[in-house]
Parts: sequence; C-alpha cells; structure tokens
Amino acid sequence: MSEATSTVFVVDDDTAVCRALTRLIRSAGYCVESFGSAHEFLECHPYFKGCACLVLDVGLPDINGLELQNELNAANSALPIIFITGDSDIATTVRAMKAGATDFLAKPVSDSDLLPAIENALRVSSQALSSRTELDCIHGRMARLTPREREVLALFVEGRPNKQVAFKLGIAEKTIKVHRARVMEKMEAHSLVDLVRVIDKVCIPLAQSQSA
Amino acid sequence: MTTFSAAVAVAVLIVLLIALQLRRMRTLAPAVGSPGDADLSRQRYNNYAFAAADEAADLEQPAKAGLDQTNIRRTAGFRPPRLAGRHIVHTHLAMLSRGRFRRTSTDNANELQPCHVKSRTEPADGSQSAARQSRHDERFGATLDLLPLTILVANPQGKTLFANAAAEKLFGYSPEELIGVAVRELVPALQLNVGGADSVSAELAIGGREPDGHRDLVARRRDGTEFPAEVAINPVSWESETCTLTIVIDRTERYELLRNRQQLAHLTRVSTLGELAGSLAHELNQPLTAILSNAQAAQRFLATEPVNLGEVREILHDLVDDTHRASEVIRKMRALVKKGDLEAAPLSVASVIRDVALLVHSDAIVRGIQMRVTVTPELPPVDGDKVQLQQVVLNLLLNAFDALESRPALDREVAIAVTLEGGDTIRVAVRDSGTGLAGNTFDKLFLPFFTSKRDGLGLGLSISRSIVEMHGGRIWAQNNEDHGATFYFTLPTGTRAARNVSGRQP
Repeated sequence: MSEATSTVFVVDDDTAVCRALTRLIRSAGYCVESFGSAHEFLECHPYFKGCACLVLDVGLPDINGLELQNELNAANSALPIIFITGDSDIATTVRAMKAGATDFLAKPVSDSDLLPAIENALRVSSQALSSRTELDCIHGRMARLTPREREVLALFVEGRPNKQVAFKLGIAEKTIKVHRARVMEKMEAHSLVDLVRVIDKVCIPLAQSQSA
Repeated sequence: MTTFSAAVAVAVLIVLLIALQLRRMRTLAPAVGSPGDADLSRQRYNNYAFAAADEAADLEQPAKAGLDQTNIRRTAGFRPPRLAGRHIVHTHLAMLSRGRFRRTSTDNANELQPCHVKSRTEPADGSQSAARQSRHDERFGATLDLLPLTILVANPQGKTLFANAAAEKLFGYSPEELIGVAVRELVPALQLNVGGADSVSAELAIGGREPDGHRDLVARRRDGTEFPAEVAINPVSWESETCTLTIVIDRTERYELLRNRQQLAHLTRVSTLGELAGSLAHELNQPLTAILSNAQAAQRFLATEPVNLGEVREILHDLVDDTHRASEVIRKMRALVKKGDLEAAPLSVASVIRDVALLVHSDAIVRGIQMRVTVTPELPPVDGDKVQLQQVVLNLLLNAFDALESRPALDREVAIAVTLEGGDTIRVAVRDSGTGLAGNTFDKLFLPFFTSKRDGLGLGLSISRSIVEMHGGRIWAQNNEDHGATFYFTLPTGTRAARNVSGRQP
C-alpha cells in the first residue's frame, strides 16, 4: 500500500473527535486532512483525483454524511467512504452501504476496526483509480471513432457477421471491412474478443447510440 | 401545602372562636346567677356541666323533635339523674351545643354517660342576652359539625370531652364511644402533656411542635388501621381547666397525590430516555471516541523510535479534557433510566390536561400563578400514550411556571388552550406571561442538553419533542406579542393518528 501518496480525509464536527481520529490515522502513517463540516470538505476537495478515502461522521450539522455521500456520488466521485456514527441504526447503515460506503463503523471506533477499514478503502480507491484511468483511456479511443465506425462497432460487438452489418447499415460489405479494420486499429484491439472486453468495461449502450 | 395552610387558618379561627366563646360565657355566667368560676371545684363543675346538659336536652328535645332525628337518636341513651335546680346556665358544654361528651363524675369515674347537649334557646331566667348567646352557641356547634376538620377537645387527663361529626367519621367510632377515649389512642404519637389546672400548655410528646403548630403523624382508626394525618394542638382554657383542642386532618389523599406527583415528575425525567437514546449515546460517544482514538494513537506513537513526546503530551492533555466531558454527560444523565414503550390508546387530550393541571394546581397556588384552562368542547380523541402525553403537558406547564418566577405576583398567568385545527389536529397551547424566549434560543430549544435554567438538565423539551413527534405531532414555541412565550404542540386525532402509527418505522 502506497501510504505516503494516499490521503485520508476526516470529516467530523466534533473538534475533539476530529483531532483524535486525525492523530490515530496519522500514527498509522497516512496523510490526513480533517474538516469540521461537509461544506468545508466540499470547498477544499470536491473531486479528489488521487488515492484517498473519506472517514465521514453521519451526523454533521450542515448536511449530514449520507447527503454528502449522495452529492459525491452524483458528482461521480470515486472516493470510498467509511462512515462512523454514534447512533447507528439499521436503516441508515443500509442506505449508506447501498450508496457505496466501504464501511460503517460505530463510535467509539477502535484502531483495529478503523485502520483496516481505511486500508481497504484505499485499496478500493486505488483500484477505482486504475480502472478509471483505463476507462478514460477507452473513452479517449472511442472518441476517435467516426459516427459510422461507432455504428459498425455496435453491431460487431453484438456478434453480427460482416454481411449482416452491411445489410443493416445498407452499405457494401467491402466498406464494412474497411470500417472494421479502422475500428480495431483505433480501439487498439487485436481481436474481436479483445474489442468486446474493452467495450464491456465502459458499458456504453451502443445499440442505443446506433438508433439515435 | 396550600390545603394545609387553609386548614391551619381554619384551626386558628376555631381556637379564636372558642376562646371568644369562653370569655363570653364567663362574663355571662354571673349575670344568670351561676357561682363564680373560680370557686367551682371539679365536682361542682362536673355537676354543673352535667345539669346543663340535662337541662339543655330536656328543653330542646321536644321543641326540636322531628327536626333532627339523628341527634334525637343519639340522645336516646341519655338518662342522667336529675340535679336539683335548673338555674345552671351556659358552661362550655352548652357552647359545644351539638357535641357529645361524657360526664367525668368524681363519684364514679367509670360510670360515664353518653350525653348529647343541645343548645338552649331559652335559659331558665329568660334573659335576653342569654337567649342570644344560646342561639349563637347552637350555630357555633352546628358549624363545628359541618367542618371538614376533625376536632377533638380533651380534658387534662387526655380523654376526649368533645368530638365533632368529622371525628366520628374519620376514626370510625360511634358518637358515644368517642367521648372519653384517650386522644393518644387516636393519635398514638400524641401525648397531651398538661401540667396542671393552671398551666396552659400542651406539647407533642415527640419532637415538640413545628413553628406553625402542626405535625405529620400517624392516626389510628377504631379498627386499628392507620392513616397519615396532620395534627395541630392548641391549649384551650375552659373554666379553670386546661384542655387541649386537637385538630386532625386526614392526609391520605394528599400523600397519594404527592406520591403520584413524584412518580410523574420522575417519569418526566426518566422514562423517555429511550427516545433520547440516540442523542445521549452520541453525547457520550463523542468523548469516548476521542478518548479511544487518542489513547490508541498514543500507543502507536510510543511504539515508534524515537518517541514523539510532544505528540504524546498533547494526547494526554486531550485525554483529560475528553474524560471530563464524558463524565459531565454522565452526570447529566445519571437520573435517566429506561424507556417505556408507546402504548397508544384513544384518549382525550382534555382529560390529560385536566389531570396534569390538577397535579400542578397546588404548585401554581404556592407560586402565586393563575392557571386557566380553555378546552374546545367535544374534541375528538387522539391515539396516544397517556403517561407520555402527561409528561409533555407537565413539562410545558412547569417550564411556564419557571418562566414566571421573575414576574410580579399579579402578572403570573399561565393559560392552556386546547383547540381543534383543520378538523383532524388537536392543538395545545401553553401560554405564559413570563419574560419570553431570547431570540437566539429558538433553534436550540428542543435540542437535548440545551437549557436556559441554572439547574436544568436540558432534557424536558427534547423529551417532549420526541414524544410529540412519536405521536405524529409537532411542537414549537413562539414569543407572544405582549410578553411571555407560548409553546404549542399538535396531535393528530384518532383517524389521522392511526395512519401515522401504521406508517411509522418501528
């Protein structure tokens, strides 16, 4: 785990708790940034790009932890969240976990729970980070395709042979073959299987883009 | 306390009346030819007394026959030997015209006769003033019987000379039996310590008398059952004898009320902790979280080389603060115990308010507060937990009372209004004429541990809010336009409440 480059954000409105948690996490060798409210956090680090996780108190005075989580999700943030709460109830926990929290810990939280949770969250973060890099890469490649090539790609990944694609698009099979070669080249795919795997990762509804 | 003050006032009045009566009798006595008081020996005194009773009964009975069956019945057993001379006039026995007494004959102390004295309307010599006196006596005696207080007059030996109707009822004796009974049989702790004929002193055997002359003692009925009583004793000089006037007030109800009130007050403080569990847990968890994290961080820092002493020092400092904070929370919630489940049943908000109003009535009087309750008639019932809603009302009322403390006595007013809003919501408004709420407190009022009182826990309103919200209602506060504040809470009526309850999460 590359602890030195990972950042742990702590958001808790209680100064004493915030300070103690910060200290504990720092003692484990992480870089810690603490905030007293959700707004304070959002102002400084809305969409942190590096490997990081957020240790978040559920009961915050301005917007509560769950709302902050929603806001981050809506902004497509990949920041893993570890919730800590003094009065956990099942409903809140379920909501938080469904919305993608990596952990939900009850206060007072022990280092034996918190530090592994942080480690896990940072692993999630770094995985997300690498997959995001890959996705960005795929998106970049796809951006290079022409609209016609996109249509061709969509039909290819459905498993249709050249002839059918040509018939569907109403163009010559020969032209399709040229498009196909271009798509393979632009998508940096060595085989059809390779191409399908890449397209699967981005989960773009190609069929819809075709009909649109 | 208020009831007792009233009782003491009545007692003092009675003593004054009796004293006045005695003086009048003394001054009257020579005028109608009775021997001077000072010369009366015990024997003669008793004889006179007896004869007076005799005469009174004789003269009164035919005239009053059919008018007062009870007294006639009571008098039926009375067959005193006639004494020569019907010139005996008013003695103190005549004064206690409708009372019962026994003759304490010196010839035969055991041969006591029940006696009913009826007041004389016309004395033997027909004196006008004596007649007036007599009518006065009769009214006086009747008054004593009507009093809700138990009055016992005991002779220097501690035996009952007179007891009013309330005494018979309270102690469960028949009129005849009660006369001659030792007062300490009725009130065991009470020993009438009458020094002598000249000494006018009566003391309680134990502990002496309280400044206001009353004691909380245990009294005993004829069947042996005991009950709490307030006892006031006063020396009364009758003729040359020192008697004691004992007033006994049954305090069973008051004690029950007191106990109920304590229970309810206790409930207010404790039973809805469950509703607050979240907030309380949070309050405690915060410092505990800080303590745990700090301590574990310290352990980690100590495990590294070289040890960062500055960091550890800071941690220790924080640990002390956090511990103080935790113990402060614990101190505040020490009294809080356990949660009661919501037992919803259809109930009348008006009756809840009336119950609580009754409960704090005496408190209001003591604090000089005028309390008005206005209830819209025929309100639909609400579904709720009676005790919990009582807590809310009690809490709001006591807060209102507290808010009036600094107001002049004439301006201390609390008004409770129960109204129907929009057909399906009952709104209760508790309005005080106090100093009102400071502008910056409105958003904090209902938070746990927020208080503006010096000794407040800061839990009353937050508990109230939990309860009201649990009932599907709302609670809020507003400053009045003139002065003081009004606390409102709403409760959905039966039909709406049922929907709320079913829709609520467990």
